[in-house]
Amino acid sequence: MASAPSKLYADDVSLVVVLLDTNPFFWSSSSLSFLQFLSHVLSFLNSILTLNQLNQVVVIATGYNSCDYIFDSSLDLKRSLENGRMPVMCSSLLQKLEEFSFKDEQLSKEEPEGRIKCSLLSGSLSMALCYIQRVFRSGALHPHPRILCLQGSPDGPEQYVAIMNAIFSAQRSVVPIDSCYMGAQNSAFLQQASYITGGVHHKPQNLDGLFQYLMTIFAADLHSRSFLHLPKPVGVDFRASCFCHKNTIDMGYICSVCLSIFCKHHKKCSTCGSVFGQAQSEAASASDKKRKTPET
Amino acid sequence: MPQVKIIAKNFMDMVASLPAIKLDMLYRNQFICEAILRSLPPLAKKYVLQMLYIDVPITSKSLQEWVIADGSSKHKVAIDRLIQLRVLEVIDRKKETAYKLNSTFQTNLRKHLINGGILPREPMPSNVTARLPTLEELDAYAHGQWEEQGVDQADLIAFLLELSFHTTGEAYSLNTLTDDQRAMIKDLADLGLVKLQQGRKESWFIPTKLATNLSVSLTDSSLRKQGFVVVETNFRLYAYSSSKLHCEILRLFSRVEYQLPNLIVGAITKESLYNAFENGITAEQIITFLQQNAHPRVAEKTPAVPENVTDQIRLWETDLNRVEMTPAHCYDEFPSRDVFEAASDFARVHCGLLWEDPKKMRMVVKAEIHMLMREHLRGNK
Repeated sequence: MASAPSKLYADDVSLVVVLLDTNPFFWSSSSLSFLQFLSHVLSFLNSILTLNQLNQVVVIATGYNSCDYIFDSSLDLKRSLENGRMPVMCSSLLQKLEEFSFKDEQLSKEEPEGRIKCSLLSGSLSMALCYIQRVFRSGALHPHPRILCLQGSPDGPEQYVAIMNAIFSAQRSVVPIDSCYMGAQNSAFLQQASYITGGVHHKPQNLDGLFQYLMTIFAADLHSRSFLHLPKPVGVDFRASCFCHKNTIDMGYICSVCLSIFCKHHKKCSTCGSVFGQAQSEAASASDKKRKTPET
Repeated sequence: MPQVKIIAKNFMDMVASLPAIKLDMLYRNQFICEAILRSLPPLAKKYVLQMLYIDVPITSKSLQEWVIADGSSKHKVAIDRLIQLRVLEVIDRKKETAYKLNSTFQTNLRKHLINGGILPREPMPSNVTARLPTLEELDAYAHGQWEEQGVDQADLIAFLLELSFHTTGEAYSLNTLTDDQRAMIKDLADLGLVKLQQGRKESWFIPTKLATNLSVSLTDSSLRKQGFVVVETNFRLYAYSSSKLHCEILRLFSRVEYQLPNLIVGAITKESLYNAFENGITAEQIITFLQQNAHPRVAEKTPAVPENVTDQIRLWETDLNRVEMTPAHCYDEFPSRDVFEAASDFARVHCGLLWEDPKKMRMVVKAEIHMLMREHLRGNK
């Protein structure tokens, strides 16, 4: 089902867009503290930049209410390397992260209660894909982009449609989405994303060794991946969610025009507006009645 | 400037030839560790990162398990390179070889990744330096120095490339060089690319290994060849090239219709592809050729070659593979239906039954289990 990438990677220059989950509801109850997590991630980012002079790293924070860019190696690291790459990267990233968290929290004050405490993954995926599109249009010589999702928050069912759209556009532009899930259960969205786009999904068993997982699995560039043994997808949950209630369903109704999925019979498709005919059972009983009358 | 890149590649070979003690001293410098890491083949880089925090030696068998079968040659190249640079130390344990990262290299690379490198020198404070040239002025200065030497960049590159095809150790007369090249040769001698010698009447130059290895480093993957082929969804082919070689290659699998001074127009047809397949060319080879040589205009698109074209090429290839042959034996004239059914079950259990006709009691069984079948039938009788 996963489409084989038709691009030939000749070298190992990479652009890694990292989507960092900053959802405070998840981090407050996680065994790994956010600070420890950041130290693993920052060293990992530095390793990517060390591997190749032309490698680029972009970090997008996935918050509870909003998403924003918090680091771009091509901009933030242009000058002032005399202080060392790591200290510059850390100070720039941490400062922007602090500003972002503050703004994100402000937006919570107007939020209605009762929402599952998930992060805005659809937003950051879309931002990452837009950035990558810009890189594609910058000319023939560009690094090979991929997206790395560092996620701990659970899946938000209301984001199903947006996330699936993002996954399909990533598949179309041949951008692999890697995902490292650090939460308690499984994330069906991330498993599907990695499977469909040809990326790697992994749920580390021991979060204390996160850095080693990142180095072993996620630091491999796209060219070398065709030669390496990486975690294979096992038991991906491919069930769709209905568009009306966002529940995962096994059987449902599909609009023949736009392929939207519904769990119950509707008169009209909410996505494309096409009017549906009568349901099967009603049509059958109507024709039965017609047949019966001529006999008498 | 291209020259820096060329020398850097061979610089690594020079580094690799240093004795172990000197290498250890070099590896105390975090930036040298980073430079060495960057010069490694991609697979080797990955191995270094993966082993960075592992303190125990890893057996070569375990290392081999990290790659799939297709990658074993790349694996070998990577390991050899790492050992050559003494980044990887070999530990011979009884029967198994194990590898461990060079401890100096490991410690310093760890520090570099966690703390980040600080350059050994800082730019001078601005109150001391009167006026720093801007980036444009620096560029102009660099360019100016090149011109002063009377050297055209293109000429130099051409000459260097030419040198790379000479034989190491052979003497070539200086008279065969143009004036420009003669001016360049002195600088190259200073850099160790050639050795100048003088006889009684003639003087000559001898290319060293550094010069002849240039072509190897220039075919580095960092130089991407310009593609020239555009494939349309209606199976038409346009190649912006005037090269005879390209024309002949395209003639192998496509029908070339027009040849203009800068353009070759053709079409991929069933007949042309059948010709190619009969000559032993596979569909994968054709598709890879089209993808790797895609014109820059279409190379950015995904996919570079339209899917309907690639799919159709593969389908036409399978057209020629409709018949599959399996060596087999045919069994006939069974004494009774029971024997026939027992034999048929036996064959099925051993996954060797290819065809059976219960009415006429005949069956065809794979040649591999023929011996087993004979014994079974003899045992039954």
